[in-house]
Amino acid sequence: MGETFSQKHFAALIQRTLLAGVVLSMTLIFGGFAFSVAGFAHAEAVLRAGLLILLLTPAARVIMLIYGYWRGGEYYFALASFVVLSLLGVSLLIG
Amino acid sequence: MIEFTLLNFLALIAFGVFIGLLGSALGVGGGIFMVPFLVLALKVPIHQAVAASLAAIVATSSAVAAVNVERGLTNIRLGITFEVTAALGSLTGALVASRLPSGVLQLLFALMLFPVSGLMFIKVRRGTRRQKVAEPAPAAAGSAFDSAFFDPAVGEHTPYAVRNLAPASFAAFFAGSLSGLLGIGGGIVHVPLMNLVCGVPMKAAAATSNFIIGVSAAASAYVYFRKGMMPLELTGVIVTGVLIGSFAGIHALYRAKSEKLQLVFSALTLAVAVKMLMKALGG
Repeated sequence: MGETFSQKHFAALIQRTLLAGVVLSMTLIFGGFAFSVAGFAHAEAVLRAGLLILLLTPAARVIMLIYGYWRGGEYYFALASFVVLSLLGVSLLIG
Repeated sequence: MIEFTLLNFLALIAFGVFIGLLGSALGVGGGIFMVPFLVLALKVPIHQAVAASLAAIVATSSAVAAVNVERGLTNIRLGITFEVTAALGSLTGALVASRLPSGVLQLLFALMLFPVSGLMFIKVRRGTRRQKVAEPAPAAAGSAFDSAFFDPAVGEHTPYAVRNLAPASFAAFFAGSLSGLLGIGGGIVHVPLMNLVCGVPMKAAAATSNFIIGVSAAASAYVYFRKGMMPLELTGVIVTGVLIGSFAGIHALYRAKSEKLQLVFSALTLAVAVKMLMKALGG
């Protein structure tokens, strides 16, 4: 890792990405349940969005890995992360 | 679609918490228990159970990895290397699984559980024996994969070297394909693989496995999500329970001795395997 982008920064970046994904998806899932109980029309769409964000969280984390390894000059791991992201993309688009 | 009675709801939340607790300590997503529970106890069709279980794995992985990465327990370099082959396997597995009849899937699942249970048991025995002799000495000159972490259970800084990476990455493809086929994260393969083949200490193996399974489960989950096979409400309830369990379990189980948990896990896996096999052969 470079001096400006330390291992600690990298870990914090990954941690924040994962937590943000989990918190956002849980907010939407709870929102979906609340809408459902209240009888609102879009409850299912909100719930679906919450689950989709949850499922996209690992992909967001892989994007951060590409960024982190690229900045740290570890191009082999940046490439490995990019391959993983591509496979996730394939799964999302053609599955 | 199952009916949401109060009893079902509470059972789902409680089971989710249990799965989250297990996952945070052992590096497995808990799909191995989740799918049989949904199919046998709640009569959820197996494809829907697999889809819900995959989402639960993504949830536990994301929540637990957030903490483990910060603590330095997760070997991210090793994780991303395994993820390449695991994600490839997972995608292959999911594409094949949605074309297989439910009965075949159940039989496959049951048959896979027996060796997993045996592996777990062997690991406990090896772990105890190794502790009596000596801790494995870390190699002096390391590769980029070598790492270290602080283990609060023994109060020591634990450095380690990673061995046999090439054959292990190949095996990770198999672990990934199990995820797509059967709705498990593949952690049950990744943990023994890293621990026994690569020489990664148990806690780091569990943390790294947890990191990996989020991606392999997500790769399979996208396929189910796109095909509309993911039961939204059921999944939402399970994910809630799993997250509660994951966050609650991280701190408590982080300090626990892994051997006892593995022993319980081995016995539980065996029980589920027998039940699932009976169901597959009987139905």
